[in-house]
Amino acid sequence: MNRITTIHAPRISIKFIALLGLNVLAVDLHSQPEKKQIMHDSVTHEQLSAALRGSVQKDPMKSLKTEMGADPSVVNRPQDLISQSDVVCFGGYATLVPKGAILQIPKNFKDRIHIQPGVQIQSWSDFYAANRGWITAVEVSRVQAEGNKPISQDTHKQMVKSGNLIVATYQGGPISVLPLKHTEASNKTQP
Amino acid sequence: MKKFILQTAAILSATLAVASATETTYTNFIRQIQLPTGVQYDASVATSGEQLSPLEINPGGARFELWTVKSSPLTNYLLDTRYVGAYVPIAQVVIDCEDTYGKDLTNIGPVPSNIPAMIRRTRADRPFSVYITTSGLLSGATDPAASKSVKLLRHVQSYGLAGTGVILDRTQATLLSQASINANGVQTLAYTLNSIPGSDRTKVRGEERFSVFSLADYQAPESQLASQFIQVWPVADGAISGITQNQSIRFSMPQVTLTLNDLYPDSRTYAQVYRGEPQLGTTGTIVPGSHQIINDSVPQSRVLTLMNYDDTFDSDGRWTMEILTVTPFGVDRLAHVSFTLDRTIQLNGSFNTIE
Repeated sequence: MNRITTIHAPRISIKFIALLGLNVLAVDLHSQPEKKQIMHDSVTHEQLSAALRGSVQKDPMKSLKTEMGADPSVVNRPQDLISQSDVVCFGGYATLVPKGAILQIPKNFKDRIHIQPGVQIQSWSDFYAANRGWITAVEVSRVQAEGNKPISQDTHKQMVKSGNLIVATYQGGPISVLPLKHTEASNKTQP
Repeated sequence: MKKFILQTAAILSATLAVASATETTYTNFIRQIQLPTGVQYDASVATSGEQLSPLEINPGGARFELWTVKSSPLTNYLLDTRYVGAYVPIAQVVIDCEDTYGKDLTNIGPVPSNIPAMIRRTRADRPFSVYITTSGLLSGATDPAASKSVKLLRHVQSYGLAGTGVILDRTQATLLSQASINANGVQTLAYTLNSIPGSDRTKVRGEERFSVFSLADYQAPESQLASQFIQVWPVADGAISGITQNQSIRFSMPQVTLTLNDLYPDSRTYAQVYRGEPQLGTTGTIVPGSHQIINDSVPQSRVLTLMNYDDTFDSDGRWTMEILTVTPFGVDRLAHVSFTLDRTIQLNGSFNTIE
């Protein structure tokens, strides 16, 4: 008598059960109550190239008046912040102030007006708070910063007397002070 | 003279993107440059928030520059710039797309708005829209030219192969087109596709930037009034290796390798199997170990090895395995393979009886 016996190959292990459990959990957390979405095959380069040609022809900016000329985002790009600033550096920290904001650099502090390796950049307010012992902030007016009015002689005397690094500030923020313009007003303002 | 509100939240994402890449420290500075005098004022700012600039703006206006500075080596990056002035028009640029990442969902007005600290993003095959809002444009015959018109610029820039846009030199962007806007109100520009350079259109990665500039006059050159960009990421692709099309599989399932490239930053990708020939829209059984959830700021690639997954198949016969990726744009099938499973062992024997 001939007989046919059917045997199934072994298919499962403990490890597999554990993996299955984790994945079922992951699906439960992230995907189960999902709105039925339409499925597509991934778009191809050829499809996109053809669509892009149509898109270029329908450029919505064509509805506006076309302009020509150099790219102002390159031509008028702001200058480098670092090159427009002086670095004040001490104790492993440094900050940047606009060029022209430092009104006085005593000889013994000259080595603190350049970046040193490994320092951490701080904002002016943080740096100044930690270095008030050798930095003095002198408040100037907007008119003085523009060079339209000189800094008073009293302030000058205090600056020289203090022996500190002097930084011009406007309401607490460092500000560049332009060279004094020789105007009638400036000649009269010397007290 | 008028004062200007300094907003610094916009820098956050860009700064963090730079910072996370190198783990060095970055400090932010806002520099106010008075025009035409050139007086520079440093406004110390927190990482996010807003404050009034205490320095009044001259009639010539002022340019505000937002910088972040890396400590070592000392390097600066320009994050944003804006020009404001007494008669200079005000402009706003908002980019919108299907992926709502970075979109202010609380705003239900006709013009959408975005969260300042986040960068909008989309995929290489998806559309996007740009809303340009201008106000303060004058039309009088004696009004200065710079008060009557602004310039709109469209730039595109590729991040290059596998690029992520970190520390990008935006002066290298390509100016695609420029136009003038002479009327107050909202201009809506709808783009069906991006124009970022790339030979394989499915794999472009980069950004499209829209900026509004003032016109030059005797006090200031053409200066940026507003700007926003959208990141465009490639279409994902995938491959199944270890099983060939129409393979007949006996005993147990072979080890399979899934190669997944450029998975969208907000996506869920998995392999599923179901009985029969491939058919889009079929819901099958997820293959254990194949499920990948991506929640990142840039695309990700993965290589997965699947083994010991025989129990996923409850019967013999014709089966299909496919890779699906679920994104804000829908469900895409990246690859599929069909095979015949026959795990039944037939033993042919004979019994003889001798009497």
